[in-house]
Amino acid sequence: MTAAPAPLDGVRVVELVDESAEYCGRLLAGLGADVVKVEPPEGAPSRTLEPFVDDEPGPDRSLAFWADNVGKRSVVVDDDEALRPLVAAADVFVHTLRASEARRRGLDADSLLGAHPGLVACAVTPFGQSGPWADYEADDLVLMALGGSMAACGYGPVADGGYDTPPLACYGDQAWRTASTYAAIAVMAALFWRDGGGTGQFVDVSVHECSASMTEWHLMTYLCSGQIHRRAPHPTLTAADGRDVAALNPDFLGPHVFANTLAMLEKEDVAGPLSDPAFADPAHRARNYAEVWRAMKRLAAKHDGETLYRLGQSAGLPWGVIRAPEEVADDEHLRARGHFVALDHPELGRTVTYPGAPFVAHGSPWRMTRRPPLLGEHTAEVAAEWGVSLADPTR
Amino acid sequence: MALEGVRILDFTRLGFGAQATLICGCLGADVIRVESTTRPDPIRVMPPYVPETGERGEAFGNATLANATGAASPNRGGIFYKYNTGGKRSITVDARHPKGLSLLKDLLAVSDVVTESFAAGTLERWGLGYEEQKAVKADVVYVSMCGFGHSGPDTRHVTMGPTAQALTGLTFLVGLPDRPPAGWSFSYLDHVGGYLGAVAVLAGLSHRARTGEGQHLDVSQLEPATALTGALLLDALVNGRPSRRPGFPPGNRRPTSAPGGAYRAAGEDRWVVVSCRTEDHWRRLVEVMGSPPWAAEPRFATFAERRAHADELDALLEQYTVQFDRYELMERLQAAGVPAGAVQDAADRLERDPQLQARGHYTTMANAEVPALPLEGLPVHLSATAAHTGGLLHRAPPLLGEDTDAVLRDLLALSDDDIARLRAEEVLR
Repeated sequence: MTAAPAPLDGVRVVELVDESAEYCGRLLAGLGADVVKVEPPEGAPSRTLEPFVDDEPGPDRSLAFWADNVGKRSVVVDDDEALRPLVAAADVFVHTLRASEARRRGLDADSLLGAHPGLVACAVTPFGQSGPWADYEADDLVLMALGGSMAACGYGPVADGGYDTPPLACYGDQAWRTASTYAAIAVMAALFWRDGGGTGQFVDVSVHECSASMTEWHLMTYLCSGQIHRRAPHPTLTAADGRDVAALNPDFLGPHVFANTLAMLEKEDVAGPLSDPAFADPAHRARNYAEVWRAMKRLAAKHDGETLYRLGQSAGLPWGVIRAPEEVADDEHLRARGHFVALDHPELGRTVTYPGAPFVAHGSPWRMTRRPPLLGEHTAEVAAEWGVSLADPTR
Repeated sequence: MALEGVRILDFTRLGFGAQATLICGCLGADVIRVESTTRPDPIRVMPPYVPETGERGEAFGNATLANATGAASPNRGGIFYKYNTGGKRSITVDARHPKGLSLLKDLLAVSDVVTESFAAGTLERWGLGYEEQKAVKADVVYVSMCGFGHSGPDTRHVTMGPTAQALTGLTFLVGLPDRPPAGWSFSYLDHVGGYLGAVAVLAGLSHRARTGEGQHLDVSQLEPATALTGALLLDALVNGRPSRRPGFPPGNRRPTSAPGGAYRAAGEDRWVVVSCRTEDHWRRLVEVMGSPPWAAEPRFATFAERRAHADELDALLEQYTVQFDRYELMERLQAAGVPAGAVQDAADRLERDPQLQARGHYTTMANAEVPALPLEGLPVHLSATAAHTGGLLHRAPPLLGEDTDAVLRDLLALSDDDIARLRAEEVLR
């Protein structure tokens, strides 16, 4: 039996990227594309990032590299002359070169598309190919700051109304990941158009713009009310075992929300004054919200975090226990959906579990069969399959 | 436009689902929102309200939101305008009315994609589950976007962004060492979940183009998040080093920069981020600061030393940064090649950010009820098939039911009399 075809089967992607855009290729590989990572002889910069397997550095031991390069192949080239035949044989070329550097190396949009009109070329850069900040230096932290995510994330004010802690960015390079995801979307859209009778084109992705596209209602709040959303605590219950549970109470979704909540609190014997029919009135609840919250806290004091999460959910409340990343791997629901994928690393004698498909596609399952590539592992293989001549500096 | 010719029959609501179809709309798809006047999308009627010109509405409220029922119109909810650009059209059809269901099936027959973000089982109850969809349109691409997805033991669980962020480790990762998590101030996973919803639409369309076959793509709000935590899951599984440990998460510190973080600038609660990833960055920062003696001390001589003495280094650096306006210092550092950026809020992004202006990030559009609003565009620029914030038709987010007549007339060839009759029968509500 042959596997169901993947959405990007047969699509050849060449990536020449730093760590800011590797997540794009990871997504494209999962969708079935043949993603070839082009690296210099010493390896991509991300191969030097900690943590390492057993904390021993080495180009094939970086877990940061593994996380974002699973599913790709690695080809080592000495210079841009060796890169060109690969790009010529590809459908997609993703890079992280600034406009000036791309021009200098002859890898700018005009040069690439002039020679290969069917190519989808995509540049992911901090600020895009144009504008007054185009040549500014930025990493994920800078881009989380400029994009607006940081300003409203962090701890609330102290007694005098001022802040004794800084705005905070989420760990894990979220501006870069957002831009990488947008790059994958744009590449897929460009391929769809090309294959429907269009041509290749250039996709210019600015991480800054992608980062600025988040923050949900913050811009609308400013436009509507003139108010700026500032750092504030979120509704969080601490359970009997010390675990925290994000405890949203979306009263605005309708009267059933409070009715179901009350039934659960009464069953748990912690409803207290909420059983007073006056609380059926949303305005009364809003005025006396402290009572509602006190009942929730009484509930929290009785149960561990996992149970508290499930009790809230049993009443239709969107509660979630606050997990560390590794605790997600124990989630029975995700396991039942087949989310986690174990891949062999034979050279290390290990099998490693990776987070897998970002959605369940019943007709075209996520393609995740290759562990992250060793440096230059596929230079000869790709040269043969793609019919290009590559000097092989490492083997 | 890249998705010109693709029609999406769109049942999504709130943020997560609507984010996916706004992307498709900005790329040129014809997105037809199927809505209800009796059960409007909550974000149509929630604060903050878009004001009439010259007035300011009520801001998004506190945790209770119990006062959120006050909107007089389903066209004034501000968050609706964030998530429904892309030239989406709006029709109102009662799916629970047999004639309404029949109309929806007729529309499905001339569409390519169905998107929805209801609880699992809702479309089945209407008689519009995937099996019924296939009976009408054999190669339909059906993308469901439901908190926990359509399979698995916890399918009935419900999510909003903060729920999914808690469960997937992302809330945990916003915080200072040895304090409870601070978490996100917005639904990051409404955005990311929506991005993956758009990927699912594109995957389904690409697969259909190759094979002629449709499929059901089951998007949850959890799976799009699990790879966002990078190496941390692997570090725990491979090295046995959990993230839930003393000193982690490290606030704004990263293994790749020293110094790196948000530092106080002049003014109340003003901050600037500086992130030195290389020796060059550090050397230039020291020069910009006028080479203070402390910077030459051995404890800051190498990247490893600077990382080991990060507390002392941050305190000294902040004594410098606090003297300057955040933008002035950003410009000064950037001129010297040091990665730096002001911590910008929503007003700053709109009013002070020259880069977003130069890139045309905002497009000002109005509909018949709300004044011209600067709306955020798709943050990718395609040279041959430019995206547009207003979609194919360059228009603002729709009034509730604005397009009912036009859609039924143009796509189903109904006459004005037909439409009037359906309206009288309360099918179009």
